[in-house]
Formats: sequence, C-alpha cells, structure tokens
Amino acid sequence: MLQTNIPNIGAKPRPKAPARSGIGLRLQQAMQSGQSDPRQLRWVGLVMLAVAAVFPLFGGSFFIRLAIEALLLGTVALSVDILLGYAGLLSLGQAAYFGLAAYISALMYLHVTQSFWLVSLVVVTIVGVFSLVIGAVAIRAKGVYFALITFGTAEILSKIAHNTRAIGGSDGLIGIPVPQIPVLPGLRLDLSNNLVFYYFVLTALVLIYLGTRRVLDTGFGSVLRAIRDNSDRVPYLGYNPFWYKLIGYVMAAQIAAFGGLIYPLLRGFVAPHLFGFEISTKAVVVSLVGGIGTLLGPLVGSVIITFLESVIGSYTERHLFVLGAIFVVFVMFLPDGLLGLARRLAVRRRARP
Amino acid sequence: MEDLLSYLHFVVLPQMIDALIIGAALALVALGLTMIFGLLEVINLAHGDLYMLGGYAAFALLGWGTGYWGALILVPLLIGLVGWGLEEVGIRPLLARADRATVTLLLTFGVSLMLRDVAQVVWGTDTHAVAAPFSGITGFAQVFVPTYRLFVLGVSLAAIVATWWLIYRTRIGAVLRATAVDPSMVASFGIPIRWVYGFTFIYGCGLAGLAGVLLSPIYAVFPTMGHDFLVLAFAVVIVGGMGSIIGAVVAALFLAQVQGLASLWIPPVWAETLVYCVMLLVLVLRPSGLFHRIGEA
Repeated sequence: MLQTNIPNIGAKPRPKAPARSGIGLRLQQAMQSGQSDPRQLRWVGLVMLAVAAVFPLFGGSFFIRLAIEALLLGTVALSVDILLGYAGLLSLGQAAYFGLAAYISALMYLHVTQSFWLVSLVVVTIVGVFSLVIGAVAIRAKGVYFALITFGTAEILSKIAHNTRAIGGSDGLIGIPVPQIPVLPGLRLDLSNNLVFYYFVLTALVLIYLGTRRVLDTGFGSVLRAIRDNSDRVPYLGYNPFWYKLIGYVMAAQIAAFGGLIYPLLRGFVAPHLFGFEISTKAVVVSLVGGIGTLLGPLVGSVIITFLESVIGSYTERHLFVLGAIFVVFVMFLPDGLLGLARRLAVRRRARP
Repeated sequence: MEDLLSYLHFVVLPQMIDALIIGAALALVALGLTMIFGLLEVINLAHGDLYMLGGYAAFALLGWGTGYWGALILVPLLIGLVGWGLEEVGIRPLLARADRATVTLLLTFGVSLMLRDVAQVVWGTDTHAVAAPFSGITGFAQVFVPTYRLFVLGVSLAAIVATWWLIYRTRIGAVLRATAVDPSMVASFGIPIRWVYGFTFIYGCGLAGLAGVLLSPIYAVFPTMGHDFLVLAFAVVIVGGMGSIIGAVVAALFLAQVQGLASLWIPPVWAETLVYCVMLLVLVLRPSGLFHRIGEA
C-alpha cells in the first residue's frame, strides 16, 4: 500500500477495523513525518532556487509576472501545508486570509497611506485577530468540522465583499498605486520594475520558507506532528493540543496574508474572487501535487500548476475541470505528491543491486 | 395594534411560508448529506453539484419532451445513478485507507469542480428557466402563495416522511442504522456492506436530484447554484448534528426561517451571514450538533 502523508482528520475509528498499524509501520511513519529526507529536500530546494534566480534572464515580462503570481499562490499553498502536513488540519478556506489581506492592503493604499510598512503592520494585526477568533472556533470543533468551517468562512467573506457597495461590490477595487518600499536608509525598492518586484517576492518567500522550516524543526513542530499522528495521547505528555494548533493556525494565516498583502501591487486591483473557493482549492491541489508535509512541495506544485494553467488557458477555458481532474488523480493514485514519487523512485533505484 | 397585526399577517406570515417551502427543499439536500456521513463518514462536497445536475437534468428532460411529471420521476433516479457511480468508482477504493476522511473529502471536492465545469460546457453559463407544471395562486385568509410552491412543499414533506419511515420503520432502515454503528457486525450477518453503501449513495443523491427538479422552476438553473446551496446545507447539517436524520430536518426548517425572517430587516447577504453565525454558535456550545447520530440512541 502507498505510504501517504495525508493525515487523517478525525474519522471515528471503526470498531474492529483491521489492524494496519503495527509498531514498525508507526515508527516508519514517525520517521518520515513532515520532512521526508532533509538532504534530498535541500538539494531539490537549492536546484529550484538556482532556477528561480536565473529565470528572469530568460523569461519575458509576461513570464516574470506569471512567476510572481506563482510565488504568491505558493504562500497560500505553504500555509495549507503547515496546517495539513504538520497539524493535521485540512483548511478549505485559506484564501480567506489571502483575500482579507488583499482588501485591507488595497483599501489602505487607496485611502489611507502609501507606506508599505504601515500597511503591513495593519494587515498583520487584523489577520492575527481574525485568525485567532476563527481558529479558536474551528479548532475546538475538530476533525471534518474544521474543513467545513474554514470553507464556510471564506465563502461568507467572499459573499460580503461581493455585495458591499462601499468596497466595490462584485467589481472590486481598481487603480491601486504601487508604492516604493524603503528597505534601508537610502535604498528604496521600486516595485513598478518587474525585476525588482520578482526578486523582492522571491527573497521574501525564501525567508518565509526558511523561517517556517526553522520553527517547525523545533520542539513546537514536533508537538504539532505528534498531535497530527495521535491527538488523543499528546495531552498525556502534558501538552495542550489546542494552543499548539491555534498557534500553527495563526502562523499559517499570516503566511497566506503575505501573499494577499503583495497581490494588489502586482495586479493593481482586488476582487471578491480572491476570497473564493478557487484560490483555496488551488492551494490544496498545489500542495497535494507537490507533496503534503514537505513544505517545499507546495512551492514546487504552485509553480508547476500556475504555468500549466497558463498553457492550458491558451487552449481551453476549462481551468476548473483540469484542476478537479488533477485533484482526483492525485488523491486516488499519487497521494504523496511529486516529491513523494521522486523519493520512492530514488529509494527503488538505491535498493537495486 | 391594528398595524402590527396586519404587518404580521401580510409581511411576516408570507415570508414564513416561503421560508418553510425553502426549508423543506433544503432538508432534502441535507438528508442526503447527513445519511452519507452517518454511514460512510464521507463528507460529500459534490452533493451541491448533484443538486445542480438535478436542475439541469430537469431542464434537459423537459426539452426532450418527457414533461414535468416524467422529469420528476426520472431525475432522482438519474442523479441517484450518478451518485452510485461516484461511490463505486471514486469513494469505494478509498474507504479502506486510514486517512479516508481526508481523502474522500478531497476527492469529492475535485469531483465537484469537474461537475460544475461539465455543466458549463454542456449548458453554458447562462441561466435557464424551467417551466412550472401549473401556474395559479392559492389564497387563504388573504395570504397568497403560488400553487406550485405549495406543491413543492407537499412533495418535499412527503419525501421527508418517506425517508423517516424508511429509516425507522423498515427492515432496510434497520440495516442502515446497524451499519452506521458497526459495519463489520452487519457484514457478519451476511448482509453485503457494499450494497448498503451503494443504496445510501443512490438514495441520498436521489434526494438531492429531487430537490433540484422541485426548485428549478422557482430559481431557474445556473452552474453555481449547487455551490451556493452547499454552504447552507452544511450549516444545516452541522447545526442538526452530522449524521443525524431528525437534526437535518429540524435544522433545515429552523435555519430557513432564520434566513427568511432576517432578510425582512437586513440585506439578504447579511441574513446568510447570520445563519452562518448561528452555526458557529452551535459549534461553540454543542460541537456535535443538536441531535444524535443515525443509529445512536
């Protein structure tokens, strides 16, 4: 049977279920959990980073902007992966934070201030409070309910944005100015330059990725993984799963919000679909394609899917069907994603005499 | 005082009757969801899209000349078969996996995206009107309701009662309830579990199809109709208790009233948000919903 990394989100164990959890298997899972093989992952990561770094030399401005979009989608996918791969929480509404951040940032640039740092501060605060409240309710409800609540929250936000005239209704907000970001005294990033924009987002994403990896490699990450694998036993070790999940949730929300913070600057507009199920879904598909629980997989998947969609988009309008089909195929046949497939191939090759 | 009475009579009462009709149809969709969850622990995110397919199937069948009554009989069967196919091909192979709750949720999500796109390819993005089998308005005590809506109410209530009777008063129902508690014990009595699961899917999805036919003359059909309905149906199932038959019916009628009455005073979109807040409140106070699961107690 395939070794999956998709955690179970709390189906009630059936009485007399056939035993499929021998100690050996358990141990194997525990060792694999989260990061497959750190060394392999590092190589994949370094190769990707190298490709990403030289990419703008070959791609035109259309592809650079597409790549930026892929990186921003990557933030949402990364946040899905933190929740699903580490805390065992399936969120079908991560776009809620992406959209929320995008709207706040758009509204502030339009009406309040041009200061990137001030806008970031406000976004971090509001998203933090909002995710604390929703997270507290959703995590208390457990299991499959978590998925439904997150799904519903994003839907409701999208509907509110769709029907509120004051924030543009179904048209959204347009004409968002592109600010200059003062980084150091005397150094300002001009985001109207595609290359600067690209390297800015790439650097930020690499920092976010490394930071997340660092945080999840600490005891905090281990407790999260323990909760994912057996949330009933963790309390006996003296940890309260609720707080760990909640911190994980808020952390994930902030990462998705970073994508939302930047998005209006790329497109110059925001619209209700940013909250919508399409982005949430894409984030889950992308994580699934890359490999859940790897952190790197979602970023790989996001680049692949975004470029694939752009190619498909020039032939057919049917994004959703293709997304759905990819979803179904990966769930049924490749639950450990492309990185998982690569690992299995590598293991098989090594095992061969 | 006079004013208040006539306000209640002419504004609030018609709204409540309307909400009752919507609630009864909503209960049909929620019943299917809750049965499937109660027996298989599968959250069928494609359920709303099966409801949508029901609407489109009615539209197509009417175009082929089966007439409304033919569609009313055929559509639930057709949608039931689609649901059965989904269970046979997609869900069955995943049931044995330890992470089945997650993977089946993801799978039905993917299927839901595909169905919506298929509907757009076949029927386009436009809204299609479906003709009601009869027009006319029925009045009682100066409250007037389109006769077709009363018909919808009647059929929905009949289907709800039939479902209750099936589950709590027949041998098939006894098997369903037993399977919800302990499938392997049921299997050891020689009852093929895969048929029980198949039946659950056919019946549950058939109900969604029925709701699709019934509501199509009222709301017309469009590709995202199922998606819009699904969030509401999940609020119903969560408030009533995942896997609870009685809960699904009671919560559907209750939440439809909340939404209907609230939209008298606040914009509809906030009424929907209010329903959602009721759901959150129930989740905080009673995370497992208001009523017990099928097979329990």
